[in-house]
Amino acid sequence: MPVAYPLPKDLSPATVANTASLLRIVALALISGAAIASRLFAVVNFESIIHEFDPWFNYRATKVLAEKGFYEFWNWFDPTAWYPLGRVVGGTIYPGLMATSGVIYSFLHAINLPVDIRNICVMLAPGFSALTAWATYMFTKELKDESAGLLAAAFMGIVPGYISRSVAGSYDNEAIAIFLLMFTFYAWIKALKQGSAFFGTVAAVFYFYMVAAWGGYAFITNMIPLHSLVLILMGRYTNRLYVAYSSWYAIGTLSSMQVPFVGFQPVSTSEHMGALGVFGLLQIIAFSQLIHSHLPSKQFKTVVLGSVISIGLLGTAAIVTLTVRGSIAPWTGRFYSMWDTGYAKKYIPIIASVSEHQPTAWPSFFMDLQFLIFLFPAGVVYCFKQLRDEHLFVIIYAVVASYFAGVMVRLMLTLTPIVCVTAAVALSELLDTYIDPQEPDASAEVADVAAPSDNASAATPSKKVKKAAAAASAAPSNPISDLVNANAPAKTKKASKSRGIFGLDTRIAVIFNTTMMLLFFVAHCTWVTSSAYSSPSVVLASTNPDGSQHIIDDFREAYYWLRQNTAEDAVVMSWWDYGYQIAGMADRPTLVDNNTWNNTHIATVGKAMSSSEEVAYPILRKHDVDYILIIFGGLIGYSGDDINKFLWMVRIAQGVWPDEIQEPNYFTPQGDYRIDDQASQAMKDSLMYKMSYYRFSDLFGGQQATDRVRNQAVPKVGPTLDYIEEAYTSENWIVRIYAVKKEDPLGRDLKSANAFAEGKKRKRTKPMTRRRAII
Amino acid sequence: MLALWSLLLPLAGLAGLVHAKSSSGDSVLVVLEPGLPKEDFSVFFSNLKEQGYDLTFRAPKEVTPKVIEDDIPAFAHVILFAPESKAYAADITPQSLVTLLSEKTNLLVAVGPKTTPLTSLASEFSLILPTPNTPLISHFPKRDTPATVIPIEVASNSLLTAGTPPVWFSGVSYALGNNPLLVPILAAPAESFASDSTEDSGADALVDASEKGGEGLWAGSATSVVTGFQTKDGSRVTWVGSVTLFSDEFAHKALPNGKASGNEQFAKDVAAWTFQEKSVLRIESVSHHHVNGTSTPDFYTTNDEIVYSVKVSKYDPKTSSWKPCTCRSDIQLEFTMLDPHVRTTLVADPSDPGSYTASFRAPDRHGVFKFVIDYKRKGWSSLQSSTTVPVVPPRHDGYPRFLSAAWPYYAGAISTSVGFVVFSALFLAGDVRDVKKGKGLKHE
Repeated sequence: MPVAYPLPKDLSPATVANTASLLRIVALALISGAAIASRLFAVVNFESIIHEFDPWFNYRATKVLAEKGFYEFWNWFDPTAWYPLGRVVGGTIYPGLMATSGVIYSFLHAINLPVDIRNICVMLAPGFSALTAWATYMFTKELKDESAGLLAAAFMGIVPGYISRSVAGSYDNEAIAIFLLMFTFYAWIKALKQGSAFFGTVAAVFYFYMVAAWGGYAFITNMIPLHSLVLILMGRYTNRLYVAYSSWYAIGTLSSMQVPFVGFQPVSTSEHMGALGVFGLLQIIAFSQLIHSHLPSKQFKTVVLGSVISIGLLGTAAIVTLTVRGSIAPWTGRFYSMWDTGYAKKYIPIIASVSEHQPTAWPSFFMDLQFLIFLFPAGVVYCFKQLRDEHLFVIIYAVVASYFAGVMVRLMLTLTPIVCVTAAVALSELLDTYIDPQEPDASAEVADVAAPSDNASAATPSKKVKKAAAAASAAPSNPISDLVNANAPAKTKKASKSRGIFGLDTRIAVIFNTTMMLLFFVAHCTWVTSSAYSSPSVVLASTNPDGSQHIIDDFREAYYWLRQNTAEDAVVMSWWDYGYQIAGMADRPTLVDNNTWNNTHIATVGKAMSSSEEVAYPILRKHDVDYILIIFGGLIGYSGDDINKFLWMVRIAQGVWPDEIQEPNYFTPQGDYRIDDQASQAMKDSLMYKMSYYRFSDLFGGQQATDRVRNQAVPKVGPTLDYIEEAYTSENWIVRIYAVKKEDPLGRDLKSANAFAEGKKRKRTKPMTRRRAII
Repeated sequence: MLALWSLLLPLAGLAGLVHAKSSSGDSVLVVLEPGLPKEDFSVFFSNLKEQGYDLTFRAPKEVTPKVIEDDIPAFAHVILFAPESKAYAADITPQSLVTLLSEKTNLLVAVGPKTTPLTSLASEFSLILPTPNTPLISHFPKRDTPATVIPIEVASNSLLTAGTPPVWFSGVSYALGNNPLLVPILAAPAESFASDSTEDSGADALVDASEKGGEGLWAGSATSVVTGFQTKDGSRVTWVGSVTLFSDEFAHKALPNGKASGNEQFAKDVAAWTFQEKSVLRIESVSHHHVNGTSTPDFYTTNDEIVYSVKVSKYDPKTSSWKPCTCRSDIQLEFTMLDPHVRTTLVADPSDPGSYTASFRAPDRHGVFKFVIDYKRKGWSSLQSSTTVPVVPPRHDGYPRFLSAAWPYYAGAISTSVGFVVFSALFLAGDVRDVKKGKGLKHE
């Protein structure tokens, strides 16, 4: 048998195996290190701070958990959120994340490491990303082999699609959920392969952890039944499937119902009915198989088949009836918006208003996955070629996740692991083919099919390892046996190859190319991570003309102003995006926050923001609002400000008060959204417009004032305020805080009170007519 | 020295009888315009002094003493007897007077038929003054005084001493807007109207207005001549249509029927109300707790039985002290979250004077509730209190543990468990027997 390059011959198989195993451990350790390190850009560039919006709530909840213990956390009623409705926090959150941090915190303190709870929260996501890489390795290993697993782990460790949700400080549910997702799937595949109730239980336990950690658990709830259903339909029903599924479903469902927020949903909502239905179907099939094995009569078999089908139909009919009667909750709006991308905008604007719920743009696939997205189909094709049970799982996962990732930006996150896995499988197959030192026997063209990859090498990404691993696979087939095989090719097809690569030049070309692609991938990931995904969004950064970094810290500046200068029970109204940050950083009650559970309350805020002062004032008084906080980016060009979100406020308010708020009123007659002289009257009167541009033109000292976000000229004569007054404006005007005035002591409306205070004369009035004239 | 004694002696003598002080302070600034010598008001002023007020006099254009300095009012009360002054020193403007009110200073303001800066201020209090130079005129009852000097019957009013004889009045009347903070004290007589008293040219306008159905007509008892106003901050203003109401001349002037006029008593009563001597209430303390508890909890659970009590006291000018007030029977409590969920009357507690208690069940709704007392009655100072308390859902172990309705589920769980144990036992036992059998067969 010819080899393309010489191999060391004096290595014992045990040495090779041990070396490969050591190298794998080292590689995994290095991958974990890389995964953690690349997520620390955020800490290095800025500081150890909680990012974005939701993490601020998680952080605050974790503090409560760490300080007061689990039972107080469970019963925590937060009177400062959703003022005055309050929020039953214990029953409306997925506590997995906080519980994880709480356990780590208690453990570290138990071994006398007094780590601050904030640092645990900040570092949790990078820590779990290392575990995710390991889980991906385990999962991929089940599909192909260790070398593919290592590649997948490396991809998973640094792929931007996952880093975007797990940088240090991004203390969100997704931080631990992806690890749980991958590990549950790994346990499921393992259970299915071995027919193991133990691994089924492991899958169920991690499923429970996942349910406790992330609302996206419904993905697992539907993926595993879908996989099982496809297996059944393909006639691949086995007792292994029965054992794996039954143990997973029974234990997983029962334990998931222990999470207060989930409660009875697994047996009462449509989202969970698929899993229940497949469970029932499996019981019926298992029963019929049992009967079949005992009674082989052909007639009886048809009877059983008929009864099985009728029972199945009856079960389906029962579920449908229950759904129609309302015992089972119908599909939620969030579910419909998955299939009809225009649905949310029409019926639930509050969901559509979230930027991460928008459909994904094409460039973001490349941005988040780079060359993996090109290898992804190749990997799926490889799965089709193998098509064992676990490969089917990967195919289904790939199809489903691709669709969802196209519908919503945030679901790119669920696509990322499977892309890493399939891309790793494809790349590993490519490397296997090109690194394999055996050359095909030119004369032996008799061989039919290419050998399956049973003899695939245990290659690892590092070149050295690959060589060693190749040697490991080559070593047993020493030249003598090769010769024997070459003489009798029909006898053992395995050893000699009819297809393969001749010579070193093609190998080097392809491998060099692949290596370069991998290197560029690393460079791309590093660049994307450092430039796009490591910004805490609480702190903004810009570059000075000399290239140095300039930190824009308006948010914290304003939140600390609130904390230091306002009464502790002063209610702050803002758009819901900033609710968690105000609660977390300013520690003040808020009207609405990012837990958008009450549409009417949000619409109330939307109405107050989009109405004139006179209309808004009674709303503000009724809700005891003391301060209004808005985000205004017009001065420095911060585009995510409230004027750009304003139309969503109008739309959401319109959904509740269609008679009072109408979206078209906020556009110019030409249908433009403008803030300059041509702005519509409703726009100019709205509280949001007034608060944003109050005294804005004064800043330009007689020059033409320009809004840098919308690139429009701001009217020279700015709006005036009667019912509220400016309390604080941050350095770059990003955050503006207004105080709501008290009612006038003389019972006048504040507009005329202001006019009086400015010395304007009131129109003379006459006594009202008290009787009719007699004609 | 003699002057001091002459001042102190009557004070000491009267201390037990009429000595009274305001609940908000004793310093009074009297702004008297130059045309009105203070000797003309000696009865009124000496009555105030006797009651313990510390009067400081000043002309409108004098610069000192300032009524307000650095946004801090210098006096507890201000009397503005300047119905004809067109110009004031810089510290007295309509705006600064409103500022004074919001700083809890009380005002007693006299207006007249002439247009002054105060005319524009009056409209801020929903008082609608007639056109300039149209004083109140009445030709009834028959008397020997000019038509502008009118004896007005004093209707019974909780602010005034009962049985006050009619008072002499000469000035303007004004219509009242619909501001709920207004406290009418003395209405114009039904036969009176506002008109130009010197010439008859105004008569046509008057007839026109009355034919239009009364629009623009200041006439009849719907107009008022003395009106109180209590601001939301608790300070009080009284607008009097005539400065002469307080004068010695009217105080001593006999009524058409020969009896003494009520001006002196009326002026005292008006000053007493304006300067927060009368009808002044305040909330001493509020408390709330569970029906069976005494300490104030941080939160309540839904459906808890709550007891709320409030202590109200009333200012007693005779002893210058706050006395428990059992005088109100219509104070209400609201338990509010956006809207009142519970509204109930606070009942006076007979065992504890001044204490009012309400007991109710918290609504079956969690949220941040407020105990709200918002008590507003004409003439009385308003009582306002708002206490925030969260009402939370029951704790995880606060629900009933065993429900009779759940017995089917308990039975199901127990039977399944028992069945599992029995099945396992039988299965294991059966398995062992089979193996033994097989082994036995092999051996055979």
